[in-house]
Amino acid sequence: MAALSGVKILELAESVSGEYCGKLLADFGAEVIKIETPGVGSPTRRMGPFKVQPASAPGSKTSDARNVDVESSGLFAYLNTGKQSIELDLLQNKSILSRLLSQVDAVIDDHSLEWLSALGLHATQQQHMHSGLVVCSISNFGLEPPQDRLHAEDLNVFHSSGWGFHTPTGGDPALPPLNGAGRFLPSYEAGLEAALCISAALLAQRQTGEGQFIEISKQEVLASRVDYVLAQMVGGDMNVSQCRSAFDLSGPAGIFPCEDGFVYIWLSAPAHWQGLRQLLGDPAWMHEFPENWLEKACTPERVATCRRHLVQWLKTQGKQQAAEQAQKLGVTLVAVNNAADLVNSPQYQFREFFVGLEHPVLGNLKYPTVPYRMSETPAKPLSPAPLLGQRQTLEWQQPQTQPAQVKHND
Amino acid sequence: MTKRHRGGPLQGVRVVELTKVWAGPYTGKLLAFLGAEVIRVESEKSLDVTRVYGVSDINNAPGFKAVNPEKLSVQIDMKSDEGIRLLLDLVQKSDVLIENLRPGAVQRLGLDYKTIKAVKPDIVYTSMGMYGNEGPLSYQTGYAPCFAALGGISALVGYEGEPPAGMNVRYADSTFGAAAALATVAALYHRNETGRGQYVDVSAVEAMSSMIGDALMSFTLNGEIATSTGNRHPEMAPHGVYPCLDNEWICIAVRDDRAWNTLAQQLTAAPSTGAEVNLSRFTTLPQRKANEDALDHCLASWTQSQRADELVEKLQQLGIAATKSLNSIELISDVHLWAREFYREVHGPDGQSQTIVGPGWKMSRGATIENAAPNLGQHNDYIFGEVLGLTEAERRALDGSGVIR
Repeated sequence: MAALSGVKILELAESVSGEYCGKLLADFGAEVIKIETPGVGSPTRRMGPFKVQPASAPGSKTSDARNVDVESSGLFAYLNTGKQSIELDLLQNKSILSRLLSQVDAVIDDHSLEWLSALGLHATQQQHMHSGLVVCSISNFGLEPPQDRLHAEDLNVFHSSGWGFHTPTGGDPALPPLNGAGRFLPSYEAGLEAALCISAALLAQRQTGEGQFIEISKQEVLASRVDYVLAQMVGGDMNVSQCRSAFDLSGPAGIFPCEDGFVYIWLSAPAHWQGLRQLLGDPAWMHEFPENWLEKACTPERVATCRRHLVQWLKTQGKQQAAEQAQKLGVTLVAVNNAADLVNSPQYQFREFFVGLEHPVLGNLKYPTVPYRMSETPAKPLSPAPLLGQRQTLEWQQPQTQPAQVKHND
Repeated sequence: MTKRHRGGPLQGVRVVELTKVWAGPYTGKLLAFLGAEVIRVESEKSLDVTRVYGVSDINNAPGFKAVNPEKLSVQIDMKSDEGIRLLLDLVQKSDVLIENLRPGAVQRLGLDYKTIKAVKPDIVYTSMGMYGNEGPLSYQTGYAPCFAALGGISALVGYEGEPPAGMNVRYADSTFGAAAALATVAALYHRNETGRGQYVDVSAVEAMSSMIGDALMSFTLNGEIATSTGNRHPEMAPHGVYPCLDNEWICIAVRDDRAWNTLAQQLTAAPSTGAEVNLSRFTTLPQRKANEDALDHCLASWTQSQRADELVEKLQQLGIAATKSLNSIELISDVHLWAREFYREVHGPDGQSQTIVGPGWKMSRGATIENAAPNLGQHNDYIFGEVLGLTEAERRALDGSGVIR
């Protein structure tokens, strides 16, 4: 059994944030039907990574828009597992939309206010015409952005949230501040927040029959993720400045090169220092440091000396082996993992973080899943992303497949 | 029945929080912001570090106040048998338990899932650990930047061709907390439908990996191991952060050739770049990607003599994604965030006003958010009296033996 079994969701979203939100809910067993532009499909179908030398397969279509096989995107495949796809021009078929809306529990969208209004789904319309429906909108800065924030990509949002200016930690003021990890971190964060709000609203809907209009602002989601710092700043308890290090902590913690890659070392307490002494075999240079220096006497000179010796020691250490030794001595040293490390991680294999799914065009692939293991209702993608327009019927009562109902009867 | 009627989708849900520092408390905060009654169990003997770090007044600790608005606080000493009995009574009257204590701690305390389930069969028990609660590496511990390093995030942040620099050191705890909140609410939905609770085991490291899912797919699809590429993007160019006057930075992301043509007209018209720069090698995306160093250099030399806010305004009017990289002063004075009541006033235990950071959502039927973080034991009377039904004499006895301090 799955956590959201029986929940029906209409996904109008066409970008990473909304599609990720729908994927998270589909992983919980919700039946998610995705509306796609006829013949073209979601824009994420034309974004990489693409399968190198895509195999042709029955049912696969080539998009007119950019001569890319609409079934070959790894991004689309990742974001849309467990969903069904219907080709439908919404603006031309409002009566069909209206029929769909009367049958679903929630709607996910990530377009503009104008688009939502044209479909009769903005906040006031939801309250008057679809008061039992949960409608969630995801946007960069809210549905009514200021004039100087009308156009933005995830890079812009990341840098409007405080994270950008302060990345990396200890950044060189002469170099540009950096984007977050990967292409879509702000979108994933917003999709996660949206899935949380929708799940909560669905619970209330079951109890009261009332819907909800939810508006997610990516900027606010990201800024709220640094609440520990930002609330202290806005409350007057922490200094604000034009300084790139305003979010930072002091000390020798950081990323260090080692024999086969990089490790991250955290040092902040005397216990860490004692563990490090054991790990390094009590070298002479450590004797020149006061035992409590990390807490009480953390000077830039000591940080630099400590870092220099760590770099020297790590030259002959492998990242996983060093981490294993260190952890046993209470030293917080971990590997800086890459994608291959994660696929090969015994911990990830134990928890089955990657699962294999057979896609008709992309073949059998491992998909990263979700960070929670649930004893009663495992959350996993059970079917691959749909081919464009794979579902032919608009009727919910007799769907072609029921991914939400498969397996899980443990 | 929970105490206050704040509305919101989780109205009526009671959550017991056995949490420390940031990630676990952040989960509780999200549930509280959604309307749940969230009770932090605390004790003078084992105060959370955020109550004491760098402050003399445990009821006025900025870090604690930042992550714990709209929660209740009850004092129970979990190191005494009597305290554990009280806690089990409280859990018996609750819906959710969240813990992010060190590996093995809940077992030592006698508060593991099996024990809790025996007194409250339909509990949603959410356990948060760096690597999750089970598996060959679950014994390992670390702090937020370790989650980011292990989960594959850090390797993707850095300047092109250089060692990884990683995200800001603060990243990870809150994202981990949000993932835990989502799974908890999904489990509550299931419980509402079926009457069955469950054990939810959340991994901080996997929460990080889930923020780069497409980069991991790139590996499983084609064997490509992504590395840090500065501010670049495989499908957009220019896509970067460029210097402006007064040590400010502008982020510019050009989505397609049409946006590029618009930007190129501006570059051509500019006296500093127009004459000497040959823009014809940047016409298509493949050309711009192939000549990206020259492209970025061209943009930087154009932006560096301009004021960031003026350039943002100009480019936005032309339909180009351009924004400033906000420093901490600009962030806390951001007019838009104030107008949307992202920053909002709440009231502390003694009636004093305090500004907090609100949630990342607006809801038509949201919960009210008007109370600051609680003082230690601020809600003892309510929890011991109304929720647990202890008599005055029972409370005096427990107080005398130190159980509820």
